[in-house]
Amino acid sequence: MDTIVVNHIAKSFGETKAVKDVSFSVRPGEIFGLLGPNGSGKTTSIRIILDIYQPDKGTVEILGGPMNEEKLNQIGYLPEERGLYQDVELVRNLTYLATLKNMTKEEIDQKLPAWLERFDLSDHQKKKTKELSKGMQQKAQLIAALIHEPEIIIIDEPFAALDPVNTQLVKDLLMDLRDEGRTIMMSTHQMNQVEKLCDRLVLIDHGTVLLEGKLKDVQQRFAPNQVLIQTDSQLPENIPGVQSIEEEGLFYRLTPEDGQLPRAILQQLIDQRVSLNSFEIATPTLDEIFIEVVSQGRNNNEENN
Amino acid sequence: MKKIIDVARYEYTHHVTKRRFWIALLGIPVGFLLIMGLSVLFSFMSFDRTPVGYIDQAKLITQPQEVPENLGLFDDFIELIPYTDAETARADVENGVIQGYVVIPLGYQSTYQVTYFSNKQPSSDVTSTINLLLRDNLLLQEQIPNLERIEAGSTVALESLDGSQTSDGTGWYRIFVPLLVGILYFILVMSSSGYLLQSLVEEKQNRTMEIMITSVTPNQLMIGKIIGNLGVGFTQILVWVLIIAVGLLFFKDKLPFLSDMNLSGGFVFISLALLVLSFVVVAGIFAIIGAIMSTMEEAQSVNSMVVLPIMLPFYFFQTFFTNPNGVIPKIFSYFPLSAPLSLSLRMAFTSVPAWEIVLVFVIQVVSIVLVFRLSGIAFRRGLLEYNKRLKLRDLFVKEVSHG
Repeated sequence: MDTIVVNHIAKSFGETKAVKDVSFSVRPGEIFGLLGPNGSGKTTSIRIILDIYQPDKGTVEILGGPMNEEKLNQIGYLPEERGLYQDVELVRNLTYLATLKNMTKEEIDQKLPAWLERFDLSDHQKKKTKELSKGMQQKAQLIAALIHEPEIIIIDEPFAALDPVNTQLVKDLLMDLRDEGRTIMMSTHQMNQVEKLCDRLVLIDHGTVLLEGKLKDVQQRFAPNQVLIQTDSQLPENIPGVQSIEEEGLFYRLTPEDGQLPRAILQQLIDQRVSLNSFEIATPTLDEIFIEVVSQGRNNNEENN
Repeated sequence: MKKIIDVARYEYTHHVTKRRFWIALLGIPVGFLLIMGLSVLFSFMSFDRTPVGYIDQAKLITQPQEVPENLGLFDDFIELIPYTDAETARADVENGVIQGYVVIPLGYQSTYQVTYFSNKQPSSDVTSTINLLLRDNLLLQEQIPNLERIEAGSTVALESLDGSQTSDGTGWYRIFVPLLVGILYFILVMSSSGYLLQSLVEEKQNRTMEIMITSVTPNQLMIGKIIGNLGVGFTQILVWVLIIAVGLLFFKDKLPFLSDMNLSGGFVFISLALLVLSFVVVAGIFAIIGAIMSTMEEAQSVNSMVVLPIMLPFYFFQTFFTNPNGVIPKIFSYFPLSAPLSLSLRMAFTSVPAWEIVLVFVIQVVSIVLVFRLSGIAFRRGLLEYNKRLKLRDLFVKEVSHG
């Protein structure tokens, strides 16, 4: 049974169609990426999943059925618009929010110190939120989303405002949570983070799904049939079977002629005694796929209009 | 239910642990006591206890002034010293033995006029002391029976011009109930509802709201907040009532009219019960305002529109007195915001039929249900509108765009 099933949801606000037709499913124990440019309908979709908004059309199933109060307690949510009580001490802030997730005072007293320690916030627990740095507030918000050990974690831009050290801390944490079997849905525009973390993803724009699948499958689908090599030697001007050679920093990008396989190119390079430091089949970055798919989607829309 | 209690407890402790709550809680009675104390001190300091002399040329004074035993520090008693000649009296004025002297001339009983000799204006205490001496002695001369009754003063009976409403003057204290209801209501609204409004707008401004409504339902959140903030208001009221009760207990012997009060329990209960119900309606309205407004400034500007109808019956006090069962008092009784004060005022002046009291309560309960349902919609539609204000009609017509 999939943890979250979003089935053809649509939502309009007056004349604005925020979500036209979005479907995807999130499987148990995976990190799922919800990607899309600004205004694509990501936040509305998340709010529909969380039952903040009722969809005009379509359905959402959480853990096999509609959302209810019990399921709300099994969800940890880090919204895009971060929010803690500014004039309240950190510990009181987190204790209150944990209480609303049905945690008892004993459970909170037992678990909160470890979370504060993990995020290096123990020394700041008596400070008011407004006295904390942006990064600290972000970490505190993550504690609020995770302290009740939810089965489903929905996080919107989890790395915003974090320095590289804390970004790594959060990445490690998310992978640990996945290893514990928790389901994570992550919405972000930082594609390099998605590449390193997500098992599957969906890309939406203008309220419709443009792309969905496993990260590897998506990358393969958009692979340009090119190879990247790194060498200290001077490359020969003509390599049989190679249509073009482009220099990209330390790499050369070789585009084979139609029908030529990468291993044939490799053989040619060896035959011509090119000293290779690395040889790899070029896979597109998510950034490249993102730009290509979104541009293509928008062009199609313009043509249809 | 647990989450409602959690929200209510947080709201309550959040406000009660704040310094501004304690300033408001203790500041008002302390300020009141301070003003009272200052006025007593001022009056004490300005009170001139120097004796006053009198020359009785009319041979009227047969019973000299009685000097009370064990004069206290705050007893405003001025001794009257008899003189036989003006020279001695004048010398004593100049020497500061007396502050002035009064001459009761021959033929006083035809003119009723005396002359006071002094270099400064006589205070009201001086004139009233002289008047008292003259009155007591005049009454003795006339040999009027039942002197004690006359001295006890008159009871003023009240009657409206058309004669429809009368008061024998003995139930005058009933007016205290609506007065108290009005003051409590006003304070409750200004404090508790202010807190509620502030808490909602703040949660929108600091973006906590989105977290909240993924943990509790909008109804749980709203009910919890209303209960918590009601608790804050009632704590204030309780503390003040206790202070007043202790004060009344302490001063009971000194204020004899207090022991004459005999208020009907039903009248007080109906007034206070209606106050609580009406306040819940007000709290619901404030919850709607908090949900649809994006800044505290905007919310406060609408706030006054709610406070005005609450105090409206006071502006129509005369209408309530002359015709408590007239159209205006009745309309005000049925309108949820003005009901507590209006019904209480009417009950103070006349007897209100039981069916009408029941109707007023039913209207309050229906209003609570309606306002709560509407605020539930406002919560869903307005709470995530961080940067813009939701229009009231949007609550009924459509959901709003949020980009």
